[in-house]
Order: sequence, then structure tokens, then C-alpha cells
Amino acid sequence: MAGDRQAPPGPRANVKMVIDGQPHEFPAGLTILEACQRVGIVVPFFCWHPGLSAPAVCRQCLVEIKGFPKPIPSCYTPVADKMEISTNSPKVLDVRRQMLEFTLLNHPIDCPICDKAGECMLQKHYFDWDARFARNDGSKVRKAKVVDLGRHIVLDQERCILCTRCIRVCNEVARQADLVMAFRGDRQLLTVAPGRRLDNPYSLNTVDVCPVGALTAKDFRFSMRAWELWATPSVCPGCATGCNIEIHSARDVIRRLIPRPNPAVNKYWMCDEGRLTYRRVHQDRLVAPMVAGAPASWDAALGEAARLLASARDKSPSTLGVVLSTQMTNEDLFAFTRLAAEHLRTERVYLAGAPEGWCDDILVSADKNPNTTGAKLIGGLTLRTATDLKQDLETGVLTALLLVGEADAVGSLGSLQSLVVLTSHQGAPVAAAQVALPLAMWAEVDGSFTNRQGKVQRLHAAITPAGQARPGWAIAARLGQALGAAWRYANAKQVFSEACEKIMLMSGADWGKPEIPVQLRFANSRG
Amino acid sequence: MSGQFFWYGQPGFVVAAALSKILVFVVLFALGLASLLTWLERRQSAMMQDRLGPNRANLGRWRAWGILHFVADALKMMFKEDFIPPKANRFLFALAPILALAPPLIVLAIIPFGAPLCWGQMQETVPLGTCVRPVDLQIARLDVGVLFYFAFASLSIYGATLAGWASYNKWALMGGMRAASQMISYEVTMGMTVLAMFISYGTLEPGAMVAQQGPAPWQWGIVRGVPHFIAFFLFLTAAMVETKRTPFDVPEGESEIVGYFVEYSGLRFGMFYLGEFLEVVGSSALMVTIFLGGWQIWGASLLPNWAHVLVSMLVWGAKVFLFCVLQLLVRWTLPRFRADQLMRLGWQRLLPVSIANVVLAACWQMWIH
Amino acid sequence: MATVVKIVNRPAGWKRRSYLWGTMQGLGVTFGHLMRNWPRNLLGRRAQSDIVTLAYPEEKRPYPPRNRGLHRLMKRADGQVRCVACMMCPTACPAHCISIVPEESEDPRIEKRPRVFQIDELRCVVCGLCVEACPCDAIRMDTGIHAPPSTRRADAILDKEELLSRGELSVAVQAGEGLFWRERK
Ligand code: SF4
Ligand code: SF4
Ligand code: SF4
Ligand code: SF4
Ligand code: FES
Repeated sequence: MAGDRQAPPGPRANVKMVIDGQPHEFPAGLTILEACQRVGIVVPFFCWHPGLSAPAVCRQCLVEIKGFPKPIPSCYTPVADKMEISTNSPKVLDVRRQMLEFTLLNHPIDCPICDKAGECMLQKHYFDWDARFARNDGSKVRKAKVVDLGRHIVLDQERCILCTRCIRVCNEVARQADLVMAFRGDRQLLTVAPGRRLDNPYSLNTVDVCPVGALTAKDFRFSMRAWELWATPSVCPGCATGCNIEIHSARDVIRRLIPRPNPAVNKYWMCDEGRLTYRRVHQDRLVAPMVAGAPASWDAALGEAARLLASARDKSPSTLGVVLSTQMTNEDLFAFTRLAAEHLRTERVYLAGAPEGWCDDILVSADKNPNTTGAKLIGGLTLRTATDLKQDLETGVLTALLLVGEADAVGSLGSLQSLVVLTSHQGAPVAAAQVALPLAMWAEVDGSFTNRQGKVQRLHAAITPAGQARPGWAIAARLGQALGAAWRYANAKQVFSEACEKIMLMSGADWGKPEIPVQLRFANSRG
Repeated sequence: MSGQFFWYGQPGFVVAAALSKILVFVVLFALGLASLLTWLERRQSAMMQDRLGPNRANLGRWRAWGILHFVADALKMMFKEDFIPPKANRFLFALAPILALAPPLIVLAIIPFGAPLCWGQMQETVPLGTCVRPVDLQIARLDVGVLFYFAFASLSIYGATLAGWASYNKWALMGGMRAASQMISYEVTMGMTVLAMFISYGTLEPGAMVAQQGPAPWQWGIVRGVPHFIAFFLFLTAAMVETKRTPFDVPEGESEIVGYFVEYSGLRFGMFYLGEFLEVVGSSALMVTIFLGGWQIWGASLLPNWAHVLVSMLVWGAKVFLFCVLQLLVRWTLPRFRADQLMRLGWQRLLPVSIANVVLAACWQMWIH
Repeated sequence: MATVVKIVNRPAGWKRRSYLWGTMQGLGVTFGHLMRNWPRNLLGRRAQSDIVTLAYPEEKRPYPPRNRGLHRLMKRADGQVRCVACMMCPTACPAHCISIVPEESEDPRIEKRPRVFQIDELRCVVCGLCVEACPCDAIRMDTGIHAPPSTRRADAILDKEELLSRGELSVAVQAGEGLFWRERK
């Protein structure tokens, strides 16, 4: 990736230098800003971003270097031996203020209606380093307030502080030069390149990196203030890449997904499609257990499901099939695999999932299922494919089916005598099923996905399950009990630990620390 | 015979006169004034404290500053639940309020409340003491006079003590004990003070005491001499202690024990309440009688007899009323004594002073004659 | 902590210790008040007495100018709601009684405005923090009206229309340039 800068080649000598009177040692090749961050010294910045190149256009990161007549942008200057740097001398503080004043000169300060307020770097820097009344009482330069840049993005040109981060995201991450700067001086403004629109598949990353509220996502715009949201770490369910994300929700409604930096998986980014996957969590959900098309209690529905499955099993296990989905968490897969093997005693375990789609060499995988790797590890070599399932359904080998997960395109279900469906959404399988049980979705459960690299990554429950939906492993356990099993799982962690014991390739996986949602009111600025 | 039965001096006449005196004096005046005082006390205290006080009770548009509050209060008390604690002694519990209310009413019998009516000469001007057929405006003319007063006033101790005991409540009992000790202690002082006046008057009969005092203020008992002046203040203090009102409301002590009637409610409480105000009226009446010339007023004896009687009654009423107001004033000015302070004041200060005062009065009497 | 005992000795001298003079003074004070208040009150000239009590239902003390009454939403020059749905007031509200659902306005001068604006007057603790928080002078509590009693809880939840019905043109200015400052140039 182009934004992924490497230290210059050659022998990596350490440099010895002094920051604010304290001696420090750093590997060569670091910039002064990065060096300061490593030792916990705060230097404010706007245009620098850890995942992008450094053009040093904002001049907010100026520090004093002994022997240099003028302050130097720290984001651009590499550390060197015997450097003596001051980040808090009166002169540095003064230029910091002056740069902020300059940035704010034509800034509209519509924080009350600005979506970034509360997580805005400009606000934060102002409160941290300036906090004076404006000295300028003349008119500000006016620019366009609502500029439609593309499918997902609206630009407020007045709020833009011309840091060029968004341009670099397009150029270096999406590798499409969609955005450019036009004009000069205080008339300078951000706009789309002639003949283009900001429609690249990574365009929403520009909203994240924008240090101010100039770029807003149409999807999120005006719906929430940042400080009302609670952030929960999770993993994007959009494709096999498994980008790390934060779920931002309020009062059990997900409002947006934000990439969570992970240098090994997604760096700082995620694709636009993945960002919008949360919508499905709130659409067309199956909210109550159904028996023969009518809502029923959990106990009644589970009893009925167990009865159907048991009678099919007892008639002939070879006509009973279990369909698992690559959208399910490892815990759910493990529990259902166990159910199929130990209690339904069927060999016919199929793996279905969403069909393949487009891909690129940046982040997006063709496999649109988040847990294909995990499913294959857990299900083992005996797993049958979706094609087998279609065939078996058509030839009538199957007479009873336990269908778990979101699997719309499994084929015609008409030939089945009994069908038990565990799913999160309304749809054809639910309509055809004798018993349909509501399944909690990825944002509602604790669990894990194994991405295409084989990394087991944790999901955390951000919201409570819709209606009466329950996590798959819990339903599997209840079904197992109804079928005569003695298992009992108290939480997803138990299932996970058991899976790690039993599945050799998962043995190194770690459940990790418990994470509780954090209200963004207490978080720092993002961007 | 039947005609003569009601002639002057005949039994019928005596009974009729006594009944009318009781009606006018006790029922109309004393009970009326005591009831009014229940309202006046609150209203007056409000005025002293820059408040408004109870001013709401009315009969339609007739409000009269809320005077009717005493009627409202009485009605309220009648209709309130009459609660008797389960473990109380029911008989004594019921008896106590009666014992508290009756003595202050009985002692009023000896108080002369107006100039003697001259039967058959009511249209003429009759100089004092020359009347042929006088009707004394005094329910009972007893030679023991003031002693009768003390005898019955002490009975009200039983009311308080029995109430405290019968309630089966330690606070009430404590209040009853305090009431007994306080009232007994101060009766001694009171007696000593009256002794000083007795030395001067030579009689214990209140009517005679009044007659001895002239109509002019400088002829009144209080200014007969130095010991009499001192006696007045001693008596005033002791009398206020006897009424058990602030600053001497140790038996009640609202902020600490609530007192001997803590368990009483409704009309029974009302009887205690009214009894307290009757005691105020009674002690005021006695003080007026002994020290302030009773019903005597200057110049009134020049009027025809009926007018003289009327004016003297009004004057007497006004004096008593002013004394009541004075007691209310004291009650809302001074804070409560502590029980031990009260005892010390009684036994170590007032009693020695009053005994010395008796000696002084005796010397004074000898010096005068 | 050491207990400090403050000893107050009895005053010296029999004159003071008899408290006669002190009692007289006290009686003087109460009697003085009595005489100032009573005659005037009897004659119906209470105003000249020292009495401070108000006979409540008939007489009412005027509210101070900063009294916090029922909320209202202020209006712009063209009658639109001033509120920009910035969520400062629900954030500041300690009783969590303000619910706002924002929407995008077609008017480009305004951009954001509340679609739903509700205040639950039953929950409101009348602290006025919402008014303090508002950056736009959009919400005020200067009506002097008490929250009206209601028999149904739902009636105590005031909606945008109700809150706007008491609204007036705000005289607050933005950027020192008055209403719709963006249009001046
Ligand atoms: S970008 Fe930041 S400072 Fe500017 S209006 Fe938005 S929140 Fe305020
Ligand atoms: S829109 Fe945001 S990210 Fe882009 S240049 Fe302006 S301030 Fe920077
Ligand atoms: S007055 Fe206080 S409690 Fe009431 S709405 Fe405003 S902020 Fe909330
Ligand atoms: S603070 Fe003012 S502008 Fe913001 S939402 Fe509340 S009323 Fe509206
Ligand atoms: S961060 Fe260094 S110049 Fe912008």
C-alpha cells in the first residue's frame, strides 16, 4: 500500500537525542512527531496521519530544534543524532497558537450543527492550545456549505482546513485521484477532480481522516452527536478480510461502523460496503420463534424443533441434513457441528454462504463471508458444499433439514418433509419452515470470526439482540438438551475454549480481554 | 310565701342571684375570655413576630380578623378521634382532663367582679358601703377567700399528674412529675406573697380587699408600700409558673417531652388547653383583685347604682384582659427555663425573697401604725 | 479531632444576674412590634405595618425576572424554529427529559433542524441548564407559566408545536451580524 511508509533501507542505527531536556534514543528513520508520540509527548497535528504520506501542509506540528532559526514541522523531519528539540518552549506554544488562529481565521465554527463536534481535532487543539476569544471581527470568507461529492459524501467547503488528508486517502489508499485542491490563499478549496466524483470504494475513509467536519457521510449525517455514541470493538462481517471495526451505537441502534487500526489486517481503513453492513442488523429481522408460521414461545418452538429433528433422525439419519453458514461465528459453528455429529448423528453437514462478489488487491475479498476459514477449520474435511446441497435437495435425498444462518440461496426447499430454520432475517426459508428460531447477529453477540489470513478475531456484543433472538451457540445447546444431551454452555467463551481444545488449528487463539462499550463522550478526538 | 321566696335575702333570691352570677361571670366572661385567648394568643404572637397569624375563620363575609378561629378549633376538637392508648388507665385517663378544667372554674367563685348592686336603689347614686340591701357581685363571699383559691388551684396538680400517669407513656409521666414538682414549689412562694398582702389588708376575703383599696390608682394594693410592690412581682411570677406556660412550660416542653397530655387528643386535649387559659384568666383576676383595686375605678361611684355596677364590671373586665395580654406577652418574649433552673429560681431565689418580704411587710405595717 | 468546649459564664453582678432588666427589654421589643403591627392591621392598613406574610391565594408575590417557567422554542425571522438540533440541551439535561430527532432541512441557510422536539415536563427538574447550554437562544424558560397539571402523563410531554406556540422572534445575533447573517454581504 502506498501510504504504508517504510523506514529508509540501510543499517538501522539508533540516534540519541534530547526532547524537552530529556535524553532519548530512537531508531533512525522515525520522524520527530513519531518519536515524540513514542515517549508520550503531545504535539498537535492536522495533516499528518500514521497511514498516509506527510506533505507538511498544516504547520500545526511545529517544534523548535536547537540551531535552527525557524520552527520546523515535526511530522516531516526525521530524527537525527544529537538533535535537541523543544516542544513546549514559549516560542513553540506561540506559533502553535498562531497557526490555530490562522486555521480558524475563516473557519465558520458551526460546531452546533457540525457532525464532527465532540470528536473534532480542531476543537480539541483549540481547547488544548489556544482557548482565546477570536481577535478577528471582520467578515469571514464564505464558501459552499453543502457540496455533494459522491455517493456517500457531502462536503462543507468552509469547514475544510485544507489539510489534504482526504486527497491522500483517495490517492494512496483507493489509488484514484478523485479529489483535488483548487485556487490559492484564502480562496483555496477542496473539490472533485474535473470530470470525476468521489465514488471510489474507499471514499468513506475520507470522512474518518478529515480532522474537522468538512466531509460528512450521508449515511450518518445529522443523525447523532458523536458523544451520544458508544463504541464497541468488533469485526466487519462484510467479507473474508475481516477488517477490525468499532461499532458506534446508541440506545441499541447501530449508527455507524468505523475502522479500528490493525496493521496486520486493515491498517486504518475499511471499504464503503463493509461500513454499511450494519444496516442489515436493523432490517427485516426475525424477532420471535415461529411454529407453523405463527409466533410461539421459545420453549414451545424448541420442543417442536427437537421433535421434528428427532423423528427424522430416528427414521433415517441419512436423509437428515444440517446446513451451516460461513456467516456464523466460530462458537455457533462449533456448537452446531457438535449437535449434528453427536445428537443428529448425520454426516450430511453442508456449508452455505453468500455468493462470491467483486474484489480488489487493497482490502476487499471476493468471498463475502466473514468466517469461511473458521467454518472450514471447525467443520473439517467432511463438509459438503452448497452445490452438494442443491443437488441433494433436487434429487430428494434429503427429507429433513436444519438450516442455520443466513442462507437464502440454498435451493428449493419444497421437497422437504420437515424444515427447522435458525436465522436472523425474514425470508423464503422462514416462510417454508415448520419451526423458525430467531438468531442473534454478529453485532449482538460475543464471539469470533476467523479471517482469510487465519486470524481469529473477536466480536463484542454492541447492542442487545433484536426481539427474542438468541446467540446460535445458546440455541444449539438448548436444542441439544431437548434432544437428550447433557451439555450446558454458560457463555460464548466456554464454547470458544472448547473449540480451541478440540480444533487443532484454533489452538493458539486467544479470547482476549473483555471489552465494554465506551461512550465517545469520554474518548479523544478521532481522525 | 311563694312571693316572698324570691324577695331580697330569701333563699330563692339568693339562689337566683348566684345562678345569674355564675352565668354572667363564669360562663359568659371567664369561659368566653379563655376561648378567645386561644385565638388571641396565636394572633398576638403573630403580631409580635411580624406575621399575620390565624385570620381565616369566617361566617360568610363576616371575618372579623379571624376571631371565629376559636369556634373552629372547638368544632375541630369535638370531631377529632378521641384516642386512648391501649395500656392507659381508662378511668384516670378520662378523669384527668376534668380535674384540670374544673379547679380553674371553681376558684373563680371568690372573685368579686363588680361593685355591689344595690337592690331597690338601682336608680340612685349610692356611696359605697351605705347600701341597705346590697347584692355582691361575687359568687361566694368566703372568709377564707384567697385560701380557697389556693386550695382549689392546687387540685389542678392532680389533673396534670394523673394525665401523665394514666397515659402509660414515659414522656407523659415525666411531664406529670415535672408539673407536680413545679406547681407545689411555687405555691409556697405564692402563699408567702399573699401573706404579705394579708398583713396589710387584715383579711383574706377578696371582696373586703377590694373594698379596702380605693378607686384611685394610688390607693391600689400594689402601691400600698414597698413590700406590696415587691409582692406583686413575686406573685405575678409565681402565678405564671402555676399556669405552666412559657417560660415555665417545663411540664409541657414541646421540643423535648411534649408533656403530660402527649397522649390526649380531641376534646380531652381541648379541656387541658382550655383549662390552661382559664388558669390565665383566674390568676389575672386574682391579681387584679389583690393588687389592682379589683373593679374599683375612679369617679364611677358618682353614677347611679346600675351604671356604677356596669362600669365597674367593664373596668374589671378590662383590667383582667390587660393582665391576660401581659401574660401572653411574657410567654412570647422569654425562652423556656430548664427544669433545674426553675427549681432553683423557686426555692433559692423567690422563696427567700418572699419570706423576707413578709417580714418587711410586717415591719412596714408596724411603721405605718 | 479535639472537642473544643466553649465556656460561657453567667454574667457578673446581681443586676444582670436577676435578668430583670433583660426581661424588661425583651418585653419592650415584643410589645413594640405588637404596637406597630396590631393597630395598623386592625384598621386594615397592613401595608404600613412590619408584617411580611402574604395572604397567599389572594396575594401573590410577583416572580423574579429570572424565574424559570414552562419551556418555549424561539423562532427565526421567517417563523421557522431557531433550534438547530445540536443536542446540547439533551446532553446538558440532568433529567434526560429532552428528546430530539434531527433532520436535514431543505433550507440551505439552516441545514439542520429538529424533526421531533419533546420535553417531558414531569421529568424536568426546572434547572435551566438546557437554556444555559443552547448556543442559539433557541430554548428559553422565560414564560413565567407553571407546567400545567394534567391527568395523563402524555399530556405533560410537550412537543415541538406546543413549544413553538409560545415562541417569539429571538433578538439574539450570530457573528455580530444579526439574523440570517449568511445572506448579508
Ligand atoms: S470542524 Fe470542528 S471546529 Fe469546525 S465547526 Fe466542526 S466541530 Fe466546530
Ligand atoms: S476536507 Fe477534511 S480532510 Fe479534506 S482537506 Fe479538508 S480538512 Fe482535510
Ligand atoms: S430545565 Fe433542566 S431538567 Fe428541565 S429540560 Fe432543561 S435541562 Fe432538562
Ligand atoms: S441546545 Fe438549542 S439549538 Fe441545540 S438542540 Fe437544544 S434547543 Fe436546539
Ligand atoms: S502535521 Fe505537520 S505540517 Fe501538518
